[in-house]
Amino acid sequence: MAEYELDCLGEACPIPLVKAEKKIEELAIGDILIVQIDHSCAMKNLPEWARKEGHNVEIEEVDDGEWEVIIEKTK
Amino acid sequence: MGSNNRENEIIMALKDNQFYKMWFKDAWPYLTGAVLLSAFQIFTLASTGSPWGVSGVLANWGAWLYEAVGGTVDKWYYFASEGAQRTLENGFLGHPGSMRNIGIILGALFATLMASQFKIKKLKSWRQVAAAVLGGLLMGYGARIGFGCNIGALFSGIASFSVSGWVYFVFLFLGAWAGSKLLVKFFM
Amino acid sequence: MSDASSGNVSSGSIRRSSRTRKKKKNMTPIGMAVGAVILIIGILLSLKEPKLALFWFTGMAFGFILQRSRFCFTASMRDPMLTGSTSVTRAVLIAFALTSIGFWAIKYGAVQQGLPIPGMSYVVPVSFSTIIGAFLFGIGMVIAGGCASGTLMRVGEGFTMQILSLFFFIVGSLWGAHDFGWWKLNVISNGKAVFMPDVFGWAGALVVQLLIIACLFVAAHKWENRKNEQ
Repeated sequence: MAEYELDCLGEACPIPLVKAEKKIEELAIGDILIVQIDHSCAMKNLPEWARKEGHNVEIEEVDDGEWEVIIEKTK
Repeated sequence: MGSNNRENEIIMALKDNQFYKMWFKDAWPYLTGAVLLSAFQIFTLASTGSPWGVSGVLANWGAWLYEAVGGTVDKWYYFASEGAQRTLENGFLGHPGSMRNIGIILGALFATLMASQFKIKKLKSWRQVAAAVLGGLLMGYGARIGFGCNIGALFSGIASFSVSGWVYFVFLFLGAWAGSKLLVKFFM
Repeated sequence: MSDASSGNVSSGSIRRSSRTRKKKKNMTPIGMAVGAVILIIGILLSLKEPKLALFWFTGMAFGFILQRSRFCFTASMRDPMLTGSTSVTRAVLIAFALTSIGFWAIKYGAVQQGLPIPGMSYVVPVSFSTIIGAFLFGIGMVIAGGCASGTLMRVGEGFTMQILSLFFFIVGSLWGAHDFGWWKLNVISNGKAVFMPDVFGWAGALVVQLLIIACLFVAAHKWENRKNEQ
């Protein structure tokens, strides 16, 4: 169960989502992708996308205006 | 040390406060935004006689800045009307539209601070600089010749039953498609 | 170490955060101070001229609502193609519908009372400049990471990129204003403003408008779910 980190701090909308979409293709099922973001739109559209794809998602606010979106690839 | 614990207690209490969570902390659903924006749009038309607009104000900001460095826009067709001239003369602090745009900035700032989510996001790369410059110029120019932006021409235009709003919608969508291609190719 | 999660977050059941949580300073008191300043400025403006205060507070409301709901017109136009998502698109369509109904009531009410219809300055000629303007704006807003309202909102959120974008939005606006005379003479004057009630009647215009929005909504919904149907 490998863990991958994707640093998207400082990126404008919709770049965190596009990068996450590309990155998750590299993962094996069961792997975890942690996306670091500080964009208020991304803390909504990333989990929304991941859930729609059927993955397990969690989001944690790690600092003021910073979140980690933790995605477990399920398919 | 004692005051630090007290502070932590207050913070913890705030985090679990339902009122705080709903009003200030948790992000609202898009639907809530749609309903509330509509309510304030309707209120705006009713109370000011005109729908909401954002980009027209920015042209005035440009004119005032230009005048501040010695330029003049008095011979321009765009600013030729009596109303436009009076607006320019009244200046920034006398301009309702300008107060509204500043209000938008501060309203967002207020919301972010209350949620304890404020963070300064610095420019990350030259690509971002180029994107901001090019994107800003395109929006500014496009809004003037298109009679407005996503608010004035699109949102207000459509809601005002102007066919121009729907035409704007179609070509805004196509422009966004083209912009996405450029974004992925050059600005990521 | 506190385990409190905030906002719409869930308790880390997949894994715990990789970052040791920094001790967050609570900004809410600063927020309240900013709120107080906004209120005071609003009151001062109202003393100068009530209209200024009205615009000030409605601007505040718009900014607050946009930020709290992460409402982004750019996303509504861009996401269907870029990510296949139409959730924001559908929300924007709902806003169109609700606002149309409210505007219709106000405008028709004015007609009924024999008063001039408010907001007619937003019924503008349709010409090539609308087409080109909208297209350029569409490109610009996606590249810049925010539309007009989105840019202002993000300035308030602390994005320096949008401060830069706003500055050039202003420059572009001035440039456009400069060229507007040319466009007016050569392009816009060939166009025509069309007010839907003039074409379909008042009841007809409302029906047509809501029908268009409904069709777009259904299309957006289908687009969102197209993978499920394969």
